[in-house]
Amino acid sequence: MSDINLKIDGKNLTVPKGTNIFMAAKNNGIYIPGLCYHPKLTQYGGCRLCMVEVTERGKTRHRFSCAQPVSEGIEVKTKTSEVEKYTKSVMEYLLAHHPLDCPTCDKSGECGLQDVTHDLKLSAGRFKTARLDEPMKRDNPLLEYNTNRCILCGRCVKVCKEIEGVSAIDYQNRGFKTVIGTAFNKPLDCSFCGGCVSVCPTGSWQDRTLKFRARPWELKKTPTICTYCAVGCTVVINSKKNQVMRITSDDDLGINEGNLCVKGKFGHEFINSSRRVETPLIRKIGILCPASWEEALDYVSKKFSEIMDEHGGKAIGGIGSEKCTNEDNYLFQKFCRTVLGTNNIDNISNIKSPSLNRLIQVSIKNRIVATSLEEIEKADTLFFVGADVTEAHPVVGSMARKAIRLNKTKLIVANARNIEFNSVARKDIRLNYNLGTQTILINTLIKIIVDEKLVDLGKVESSTENFKELRSLLKASDTGIRKASKLTNVSEDAIKSTSDLLAKSGKCFIICGKDIEEDPLAEDTIKALLNLCALINAGGSDKVSLVFSRVNNNTQGVNDMGVVPDFLPGYLDINDQSNRKTVEDSWGVKLSDDVSMKDTEDVFDLASSGKIKALYVMGENPIVSYPNGKKVKDAFKKVGFVVVQDNFLTETAQLADVVLPTSTYVEKEGTFTNMGMTVQRLNKVIEQVGNSKPDWQIVCDLAKKMGYSYSYTSPKQIMDEVSKSVPIYEGIENSDLAKEGFRWVSSVYNKSEPVKHRFEISESKLTDIKKSKEYPFVLLTGSSLRHQGTYSRNSSSLVSLASECFVEINRNNAQKVNIADGDMVKIESAQDKIQLKAKTTNRVPEGAVFVSEDYEWVPINNLRVNGYTNIKISKVK
Amino acid sequence: MGKAKKQSLQDETVDLSMAEKILVHYKDVDGCLIPVLQKIQNEYGYLRETIINLVSERLNMSVSEIIGVATFYSQFHLKPRGKHIIKVCCGTACHVKNAKSLSAKIVGRLKINANETTEDRMFTFEEVSCLGACGIAPVVVVDKDVHGTLSPDKLEDVLDRYVKPAA
Ligand code: SF4
Ligand code: SF4
Ligand code: SF4
Ligand code: FES
Ligand code: FES
Repeated sequence: MSDINLKIDGKNLTVPKGTNIFMAAKNNGIYIPGLCYHPKLTQYGGCRLCMVEVTERGKTRHRFSCAQPVSEGIEVKTKTSEVEKYTKSVMEYLLAHHPLDCPTCDKSGECGLQDVTHDLKLSAGRFKTARLDEPMKRDNPLLEYNTNRCILCGRCVKVCKEIEGVSAIDYQNRGFKTVIGTAFNKPLDCSFCGGCVSVCPTGSWQDRTLKFRARPWELKKTPTICTYCAVGCTVVINSKKNQVMRITSDDDLGINEGNLCVKGKFGHEFINSSRRVETPLIRKIGILCPASWEEALDYVSKKFSEIMDEHGGKAIGGIGSEKCTNEDNYLFQKFCRTVLGTNNIDNISNIKSPSLNRLIQVSIKNRIVATSLEEIEKADTLFFVGADVTEAHPVVGSMARKAIRLNKTKLIVANARNIEFNSVARKDIRLNYNLGTQTILINTLIKIIVDEKLVDLGKVESSTENFKELRSLLKASDTGIRKASKLTNVSEDAIKSTSDLLAKSGKCFIICGKDIEEDPLAEDTIKALLNLCALINAGGSDKVSLVFSRVNNNTQGVNDMGVVPDFLPGYLDINDQSNRKTVEDSWGVKLSDDVSMKDTEDVFDLASSGKIKALYVMGENPIVSYPNGKKVKDAFKKVGFVVVQDNFLTETAQLADVVLPTSTYVEKEGTFTNMGMTVQRLNKVIEQVGNSKPDWQIVCDLAKKMGYSYSYTSPKQIMDEVSKSVPIYEGIENSDLAKEGFRWVSSVYNKSEPVKHRFEISESKLTDIKKSKEYPFVLLTGSSLRHQGTYSRNSSSLVSLASECFVEINRNNAQKVNIADGDMVKIESAQDKIQLKAKTTNRVPEGAVFVSEDYEWVPINNLRVNGYTNIKISKVK
Repeated sequence: MGKAKKQSLQDETVDLSMAEKILVHYKDVDGCLIPVLQKIQNEYGYLRETIINLVSERLNMSVSEIIGVATFYSQFHLKPRGKHIIKVCCGTACHVKNAKSLSAKIVGRLKINANETTEDRMFTFEEVSCLGACGIAPVVVVDKDVHGTLSPDKLEDVLDRYVKPAA
């Protein structure tokens, strides 16, 4: 973009074309008052505070600087007496009805209105009007709204519409009666992203988790990475006296432009919760009793040694954590593999989708993987396949909306559930396919693109390995668009427009989501998707960025670090002798030959069958998170010795023989890897709560107890080792771990030559969804916006916001069995039953019900078996 | 835009078919909110919540946005209105000529305040600003009929005509 030269207050400046005068000044340290303009929102020009004097081609005029783009050679003055007079009187109007109740306002000290008033040296205004005195609106547990303080700048309205896509609030009424509010003045029912609080320049919107607990200037602000989902937003922790008081954000840090979701923004109360485990616990005569670290670690090391002596190391199973840092996980697997001598380690995400790691590696090697999540903002087409972005990765939703708003990006949402994704996109494409037909849908897209030569097939042929094979198979296939449309229940038009959009020039950003991964035929579907990506990538040259949904903040990292049975750190195949040798050399230890786990058998299977005698669980609650509740409980019953390392006394910890208290993400350092494979650094904010310790430290201490010299003194040293021994983290430099907003994108993407894609062709199978007379429904599970596991469960504000886990039932199905919203419903499978309140909806297809997995106190896994679970529902009288 | 997928259209007792018709007519028309609301109000008398929910779903606009627009313009009504609309002018000229006594009369007789509707849905009483007939202040407009130089007693007579319509 070309640059423009101008002068502001005598200073010569050069700024990019399109900048407005307001930002040109601000970016160059020149202050112009202004309360309604916000760089991430559309310009509005409502507060009238930002007036400046502009001289252009000899003519001098007054302009609102936020509404005026810079132009060549203009001269701007921000501080003439006229400007000052005008601005001051605007402020007088703005303050005329304001209650001036700063002493009781949490915004005081960081308030735009207060600052401008102060800067203009205003004293009591000339207007003697009644101060507004409407009651505070407090209709939800997270936010309160005080209309008296509102200057109607409109920022909250815009953030809610443009960034969050919700438009829960808008201007209501007109003239003096105008307020910001909901329709019919109903209680706020929105996504509670807190965007309105973040952008409000006055004290109108307030974060209730802070209420009267601290003044803004007492708060220490430390940026770090959110611990909930795999987006990896940068959050700013506000702490006082070693307690977390609230979470804010910073528009200039991280990948999220200051946007957060309800969990990231308000879900911090677990950190200083009184339910934290603060001291080690050892089970004595059946009861978990407090113990010293010394005692607990002695005991664990003695028990582990006994089991190793008697049954060999492989009799100990390890479960790593999707919540812990890379450093914690790396050290955990190293400990298991070297000190204990077992390769029977895993993490829940890999147990749920055992083929995913391998498939992601394919996408990396073929260079169709996205190099970072931010690429979404440059996309021309977005394709969400089985990805419920709104619930699972809310801030990715905000990024997508930004792309749609600013670049007119086209959106395609394909899902068996009629999920919600709100944006300003007009005529977006929704492919609401029949459950189990996703592979057919994707293969049909491939067929159309090839048959109609929508991409350059010559290029595809030369840059992939076996395109001919694919082509002849496509020719032979009898599933054309008509048949596919019938099977999938997606209109031919929609299928056709989707293939056109995907093949069309421009960048495609594709998210493969959990709804795909949950299907028993996930592997086939993902392979088909990889084929589709490779086809349009090769035929349209480097246009695809594919991202796989990861559920937790470090689901990617725990797999990268090799807390899986079949891969050493960095996805080095453990069965490959040369890989073993490299790792053995660098660790100076011989690895166990036993690789007894197979795809069909996980740690808990081995435990159930008695092959595993002890379990070491770090930061995971498998009793609830393992997808087959009955099996995991059996396994724990069989196992003789269980060590659980966690922040809380989870269902799993309650079964442990030893519980080791750990520190949360704000009490330690380390790194998380998000689902865009960007590695980001955590900053330590507060001292460890109670006697808790960071997980890596505990692992170190235990290793030392067991006679190994684990001499790591900080996560930095561990990351140094990772950078040397884990190929995909090669080159990550500790010295670059700058405190503010550190992130690192692996160079693995551009270092090696891309491998030619090999089309792995699987036939278009329909998932066999068995339904019996007795159990006529299919149980679907997925993410929820408002909760995610142990942390949100222990954050009281989130719990009061979402205290109930609903079962979503298709409206037509519900009507037939006479179930209405809010009715108590019994959900029963062959395994178990549970009672939940009903929400009737058209989000779930007929014949299916949906229950979120994220309400940890609702053990929906007790009902489940591998694959889709069949259930029946009935109303509880 | 916004929360399009509002789902609580179940408890319908209102006949939505006219609204559906209007919405089909304006399908894919940009900036059609105001004409849609006008037509719907014409059809149903006021903007009821269930219908606004439907409009929200069809126009892909949140209910708050729609109500934001509806509350901005005085032509839209969110509450049921009476068969007869009584507008008492409170403009300067009428104010000077004691329009207040006319309002008081209505409040006393119909037992409703400004911007309310009688229980039998016969009358809605509104206080409005200058109706442009200052020469015959104080002015009351009932439906489309202008009544000038009123006193409380004369107003009583006017109201009688609407309560007991001439046979
Ligand atoms: S919290 Fe978010 S969704 Fe709710 S009103 Fe504020 S900006 Fe809108
Ligand atoms: S509540 Fe705050 S952000 Fe919203 S319009 Fe009022 S002053 Fe602006
Ligand atoms: S989107 Fe994910 S990472 Fe971002 S604030 Fe929400 S939970 Fe945290
Ligand atoms: S900042 Fe320019 S008008 Fe408000
Ligand atoms: S003031 Fe009543 S008509 Fe003008």
